[in-house]
Amino acid sequence: MLANVNATRMELLRLRKRVALASRGHRLLSEKRDEISRRLIQIARGISLLRKRVEAQLLETCRRFMMARASMEPEHIKAALAVPTKKLTLTVQFASIMNVKVPHLLKEISGRIICYGFATTSGEMDVALIALEKAFDDLVELAEKEKQAALLATELRMTRRRVNVLEHVIIPELHETIRFIFDKLAEAERDNISRLMKITDIIRA
Amino acid sequence: MPQVKLRQSILEFSTYPPVGDDDWRYAFATARVRALETQMLPRATFQDMANAQSFENALDMLSAGQYAVPKGAAGFADIEEVLLQRRAEVRELFASLMIDESIVELFKSRDDFANLRLALRRALTDKPVGADYSPSGNVAPEVLEQAFAEENYAVLPGYVRRAAEAATINYYQDKDVRRIDYEIDRLQALHNIDEARRLGSIFLDGLFRTQVDLTNIRTLLRLKFTESEQIDVFLDGGFLEPAFYKHGLDLGYEAIGNLFFATPYQHLVEVGAGYLASNKSFLKTEGQCDRHLIGLLKSTAQITAGPQPIIAYLLMKEHEIRTIRLVLTAKKNSLDTRLILDRIA
Repeated sequence: MLANVNATRMELLRLRKRVALASRGHRLLSEKRDEISRRLIQIARGISLLRKRVEAQLLETCRRFMMARASMEPEHIKAALAVPTKKLTLTVQFASIMNVKVPHLLKEISGRIICYGFATTSGEMDVALIALEKAFDDLVELAEKEKQAALLATELRMTRRRVNVLEHVIIPELHETIRFIFDKLAEAERDNISRLMKITDIIRA
Repeated sequence: MPQVKLRQSILEFSTYPPVGDDDWRYAFATARVRALETQMLPRATFQDMANAQSFENALDMLSAGQYAVPKGAAGFADIEEVLLQRRAEVRELFASLMIDESIVELFKSRDDFANLRLALRRALTDKPVGADYSPSGNVAPEVLEQAFAEENYAVLPGYVRRAAEAATINYYQDKDVRRIDYEIDRLQALHNIDEARRLGSIFLDGLFRTQVDLTNIRTLLRLKFTESEQIDVFLDGGFLEPAFYKHGLDLGYEAIGNLFFATPYQHLVEVGAGYLASNKSFLKTEGQCDRHLIGLLKSTAQITAGPQPIIAYLLMKEHEIRTIRLVLTAKKNSLDTRLILDRIA
């Protein structure tokens, strides 16, 4: 960079402006990074508990469902679950966290989850489906939070990289260039003064 | 009838309905079934399987018998295949031993009703009817598919046609698919009892009425658990009237057993309701219902020759296959041994 730079006062002024801009950008990006980190930690703390709860609920659902399936005849299972009546509609809305568009899931649930008669089905199937129905809310919330966390983590990585580039590359390079131009200009100034002094000495002699 | 009552053992006369009289046309068939009954898995084997350390150990316990899985079998699908094959063999044997063809058709009609349930659900919700139905019924899957495709129900047997019409009308009351099942369940129970009476079989009549009672007991507990608003789903034809169960819906779990104090079901309801209240599970209820039904089937031991032991063998064998599937599924998925033991109690 130093080889290509024009060591002029105009360039010096331009670079000083760039340094000011880069420093302001660095400060803003640092604040953004800190805020995203804070939000991310907040979401991650919630996710950890939520995920444990959802995993427990789904495990329980699977356990019940397996017991129900094993105690029923295959043709009865097929008949019972062939036409589900529960409908789940998910709508995605976007909210902005530190200029990151994160999804917000809105669910609409209609119909009954128990969609079969009682004579040829197992009671464990009822328990499994009710447990699954209860897990829906947490499952959707978990999906929403995990997506938010993933998007914020990506943004955090990018912001941190930008902050690091500004802090460790761009601003030091600009300072170095300014110092270089300043030195060049000072040297040119000294050259000029010494030349003028020499000319003065010649004229006086 | 008095003769029949004398045949009941002292302990069981108030627990199980009468099993009827001997029919010497079935002397050979009964003898054969008695011999085959000795090969059935004892209860201890299921307990050992449940207590086995791993799925493989549980499977090994079956390797010496008819449920041995062929070498190289990879997954649970192969085991399921073996179980379905054994079930088909038992049903074939039942059909070959049973002299009264009407009884064979009656038991085959179980698959017809199951197929009808699936076909109607698909047809009424505008889904392809398909042909993936159980082939063990009186109606071939292709015939059922064709009947629904052409909307020509005349090719179906009377009981299937009547059930299809009634279930369709019931469905259109509020377009709830559960109503299809409720109606088919109701008509299936009535069909079974009517046929049993037409055949003059005291045993079948008692068996189907007991099945209706056990279904109603399970339904009662399921309705209470799910807090369902549907109360007209109890089946007619059992020893107890549907109104009796509706009364039970207003009682708490701890009081529900006392409602049945004058019936043979008090113990199973008490145990089932208690387990449901404490564990939020129907495993014990279903286990107790199975046990009660097996008790009735075992009471046919007093019959020297007749269709009763053959019917009992079919149902006990189907129960055995279901129990094997249950234990193996539970072991395969590392479920708690206590749950398996609660279910197979």
